[in-house]
This record gives sequence, C-alpha cells and structure tokens, in this order.
Amino acid sequence: MIESVSPLSVSASGMEAQAARLRHVSENIANADTPGYHRKTIAFDAVIERGEATGQVRAGAVELDDRALTRIFDPGHPLADLDGYYDGSNVDLVVEIADAREAQRSYEANLRMFDQARQMSQSLLELLRR
Amino acid sequence: MFGKPEVLTLASALAGHAAARQMIVARNVANADTPGYRASDLPDFSKAYRENGAAGLRHTRVGHLHADPSPPFSVAERSGKGHVSPNGNSVSLETEMVKAAETRRDHDMALAVYGKSISILRASLGRV
Repeated sequence: MIESVSPLSVSASGMEAQAARLRHVSENIANADTPGYHRKTIAFDAVIERGEATGQVRAGAVELDDRALTRIFDPGHPLADLDGYYDGSNVDLVVEIADAREAQRSYEANLRMFDQARQMSQSLLELLRR
Repeated sequence: MFGKPEVLTLASALAGHAAARQMIVARNVANADTPGYRASDLPDFSKAYRENGAAGLRHTRVGHLHADPSPPFSVAERSGKGHVSPNGNSVSLETEMVKAAETRRDHDMALAVYGKSISILRASLGRV
C-alpha cells in the first residue's frame, strides 16, 4: 500500500490546524473588550491533492461572525451615541473557552497519534539493529 | 524449495495491516473537527487475511499465476454505533484512541513474533 503522505504528516497537519484555531480563539479573547470587534472563526478543510483527499487537514479561510454586537450603556465613553450606548464586541468568553478546550483536546489526540506512529516505525527499525 | 516460512509472512502481513490502520486512525483524528468528514476503518486483520491472504492462490514459481502478494486492505466507512455531530462529522476521539491502542498492540505483536522467529531460525543455524 503506497501512501503519498505518511501518518506523521497527517497528524502534523492536524496539530497545525488545531494550533491555528487556538490562535484565533486567543485573538478573540484578547479583543473581547474592543468596541466593534467581530469574532473570527475558521472552518477546517480536507486537503485535496491531484483530485484525491490525502487525509490531511488544514485551517480554512478566516470568517467573521456576523452576530449582532452587544450594546453597552456607558454615557461617558467617547464612542457613545446620544442615548449613551456604544457597540462592544460580539465575543462570548464562554464560547471561546469551550472552543479552546476542544482545540486542546484534539491537539493532544493528534500529538498522541504522532508519537505512536513514530514509536511504531522506531520499533520496526529496532528489528534491523540486532 | 526454500520457501519463506508461513509465520514470517503472517507476521509481516499483520505489521502491514497495523501500519495501514495507523494511517486510517491518524486521518480520522486529524479530521476530528472537519465538517462533513466520516470516520473510516479497515476490516479486522483476521478477516482481511482470510479473504485475500491465506485463501489466495499459492505459487511455487515466479512465472505461475498468483494473487498480488500484498493486496491493499479495503477502507470502509466505520459502521455501527456512530454519533454524528451537527456539522456532519462522525469521528469520536475516544473510539479512535481505542483503535490506536489495538493497532499498537497488533504491531508490537507482529514485530515480536517476527523477531522471535528470526532468532529461532538463527539458533537452528548455530548462531546466537
């Protein structure tokens, strides 16, 4: 069975995609209090090479969540309108933290698969070393 | 005249199966969050080997008709108790971890059997 990609690169692509997701989550959390900030989301795509899915995954394009921004009442804020409200961000910290935990869990699973593939090929090479 | 001992063929076929399965499991885990991805799996080794290994044509000369010595294992969508998430993804990381542990065990067993058979052969030749 000849594979164009190895299990190692498949697991590595998974880790890379999860890391990109985690980075966007941390950007969202950092900007939770930025007025007018829309949270960023990414979807994962399967990598297609020569018309065939290689099994690898990559983080797709960044999209902005178009949920309504929260209206915050603060008459003293420079951006406040006549009624004393201004547009905050639409980041929900609970959602971001849940997303971060899920990304971490998937990252660890990929890491474990990576390590297992490495150990399996290592033990195969041990056969030659006796 | 000097055929390859059956146990070596069996062990290397098991190792090959474990390697192919490792690839499938790695693919499932990498795509654990890809929308619309369906988990796939290989049939068990005993089933796959019975179907296209031991029951295949035997040959004693290179020129004879014979089956492909290393038939690719057929990948199928994982059936059974599958829970599909709202985005159409059917990978369960827990199931994949169990499969990974099984794969690891099969691979270790295959290599142990292979190594042991080789050392028995060497012992019979008077070498240690």
